[in-house]
This record gives sequence, structure tokens and C-alpha cells, in this order.
Amino acid sequence: MWKLHRRRKGLDHECRLWRRAVESGEAVYDGFLLASVTLYISAYLTVVYWLDPPNDQLSAIDLRIRAFGSCAFFMLTTILSIGPLARLDRRFLPLLYNRRHFGVLTFFVVLLHASFMVEWYAVQDALPSLYDELTKVSDYGKFIGFPFKALGLVALLILFLMAATSHDYWLVFLTPPVWKGLHMALYVAYGLVVMHVALGVMQYDHNPFIPAMLASGLAWVTLLHLVAGWRERAGDRASACGSDGWLAVGPPLSIPDKGARIVAAQGGERIAVFRDGTQIGALSNLCAHQNGPIGEGRIIDGCVTCPWHGYQYRLQDGCAPPPFTEKLVTYRARIANGVVEVDPRPLPPGTSAAMRYE
Amino acid sequence: MIILLALALYAATGIAIAIAFLVFGVTRVLATPVPVTLGARIMLFPGAAALWPYVLIRWLKSYQ
Repeated sequence: MWKLHRRRKGLDHECRLWRRAVESGEAVYDGFLLASVTLYISAYLTVVYWLDPPNDQLSAIDLRIRAFGSCAFFMLTTILSIGPLARLDRRFLPLLYNRRHFGVLTFFVVLLHASFMVEWYAVQDALPSLYDELTKVSDYGKFIGFPFKALGLVALLILFLMAATSHDYWLVFLTPPVWKGLHMALYVAYGLVVMHVALGVMQYDHNPFIPAMLASGLAWVTLLHLVAGWRERAGDRASACGSDGWLAVGPPLSIPDKGARIVAAQGGERIAVFRDGTQIGALSNLCAHQNGPIGEGRIIDGCVTCPWHGYQYRLQDGCAPPPFTEKLVTYRARIANGVVEVDPRPLPPGTSAAMRYE
Repeated sequence: MIILLALALYAATGIAIAIAFLVFGVTRVLATPVPVTLGARIMLFPGAAALWPYVLIRWLKSYQ
């Protein structure tokens, strides 16, 4: 059943407890987000109003434009930080669970920023000049003087498309690779926002806080991605393999019970090798949902459970339990000389391949 | 002005197709048809309106 959110139904008590924790965490997450945005906007308006009260309606609207614009920039910077932070430290994983809610809220903040911008023109009966500003072709060849509002509008459009397709239905409808590609456009939107500010407000407002905010946000996001990418490179290095190409994982008991060890094939493809008692199975490390790291999850009620959103797959064949239909690529496993080995040649998704050892 | 007219036409077409799709076609296009609640259909509306050309193509293909 496609409800407001598609949720996995676990039969195991521990799984139900886990789900209840995630779902109650959603309310806390959303509440914290809304409270933070409200607090930021209120504090911005209050402090700036106190320091430099607007003396007319246009200045008051301009103040709101800046409040919501700066809030949106901080929100986008934070959203882009969540992914690499979660890779660097698992304590940030809960921030990943409801990142979509964060994204949708960011869209609405940006929409309000844009609406105040339109209002600024409307109160002066100058909407036609806004249209002219956006459609003057000769200005698009300039750097200083580039219609920076157009950059902002394109970023808004990207954020709208992402918010509008944030439901899991679109993940299935568009297919995960297309959906993921669409949502990676957030990086394009962020770049457009940086240029929107650099070519816009920074050209006539020489407050040093603005370039400092922009530069530090961009530097922070870039640095996080570089550090996380560097750490991930270590995991992409191919694991040791025998003369027949099978990858050595380790003795069976070196694989934590209900957990996994992750090995890498040539080319960086990662394989999660799970142990459930005396059963050993090897699956693709990428969750079919949003490429979460399956190998960092646990086995709950006989199913490998992705740590990001709780999607589950049977260890035996990599198939999601009914009524769900996702399937993971599986790999053959064997024990040779007391060591678990995995054949890096993938089997078709849903192929039964898990083994038992004595 | 023609740009604004084109945008308005796209939006109006999208709204109409999205409503029809969400009433009649939202489950047909899935490989495994699954019931979709009213709340989910409301949430899907903006995406269906924005992506109406592709939504329409997939919907029509589901009848073939």
C-alpha cells in the first residue's frame, strides 16, 4: 500500500521497535527543523530590525528577502553536509533518515524568498521590469551584470522538481538511477545559489559577512566531500584474491553474527558478506532503494536490513520479502581452508546463493 | 510574454493531466500494481503536473 510514506513491515519485535524508533524520530526531526527555521528567521528579522530599522516598505521587504535567502543557503549547506558526515561518523546517520523532509522544507523557504522578491517589484508596479531583466539577452553575456535572479529561479526550479519527486513512488516510477540523477542536481542548485549571491547582493552590499558566509559554506561542503571521498577510497581497494579470482573474506567467525564484512572486487564493486548463525550469504553492498551501504546494516528477522531506511532483503537470495519486489545481486560463497571466499562474478538479482557451514 | 504564455500552458496542461493520472492511472503504470491512498495521491500531484509529458507517455504505454 502506497501511503504517505512507504514503510517496511517487520514481523520481528526488534524490527517493530526499530521502526517505531525511526518513525517517532521523524516527528522529532521535523519538529526540530521547523523550530530551527522559525528561530533563525525570527532572530534575523529581530536583530537586523534593531540594528538598522527599515525606513520604508521596500526596505522591509528587502529584509525579508535576505532573511529567507540566507536561511535557505544555510539549509542547503547543511543538507549537502549530511551525506559525507554520515559516511565519516555513523552518529550522523539519523540526520540521513529524513533528509527528504529537510529538502522539501528548504524548497518552501526558497519559494518564500522568491515570492518576497516578486513582491518587491509588485509594490512598485514594476513587474514588467523584472520580466525585462530576466529576458534581456545581451545581459547574459556579461559576468558583472549577469541577470543573477535567473540563476536563483533555475535553482528554485531544481528544488521544486526534487521536492515534487521526493516520494518513493517517483523512485519506482522514474527508476532509481534516473531518480538519483535528478536528486544529484542539488549540487547544481547549490552552485547556482552561490553564483546568485556572488553576482547579486555581493555586487552592491559590501558587508564582509556575505562573502565570508558564502566562502565558508562552499569550503565546508567541498572539504567534507573530499575527506569522505578519501576515506571511501580505502574501501574501494580490491581485496586479496586467490589464483582462481575468489576474494578472501576471513574465517567464518570473523564475520560478526547478524552482521557483515565488506570486501571489494576489482573495480571497487563492494560485496557485503553476512553471517546469520551458520548461514553465510554475499550480496551487493548497494541497497536497491538509494544505494545505502547494506553491509553496515544488520540481519533482523532473517532479513538483511539497510541502515539508511530499513529496506530488507532475504539473505538466501537477496529478494525483498513479499509484497515488496526489490532484488539484489548475489554472489557465490564457499569455505576453503577455513576461510570464507566470495566469487566476485555477480549472479542475477534474486539468485539463491547463501550457504551453510558446519 | 510568449515565454509566460508557454509556461502557463504547460502548467495548465500539467494540472489537468496530473488530476486524471492520479484518479485513473497512478497504479496502472507500476510493474506491480499497489493501492495508493488519497494522501499519497495528493503528495504525488506536484510531481505528476511537473513531469506530465513523461507521465502521459508511461500512462498511455500501460494500455498497450
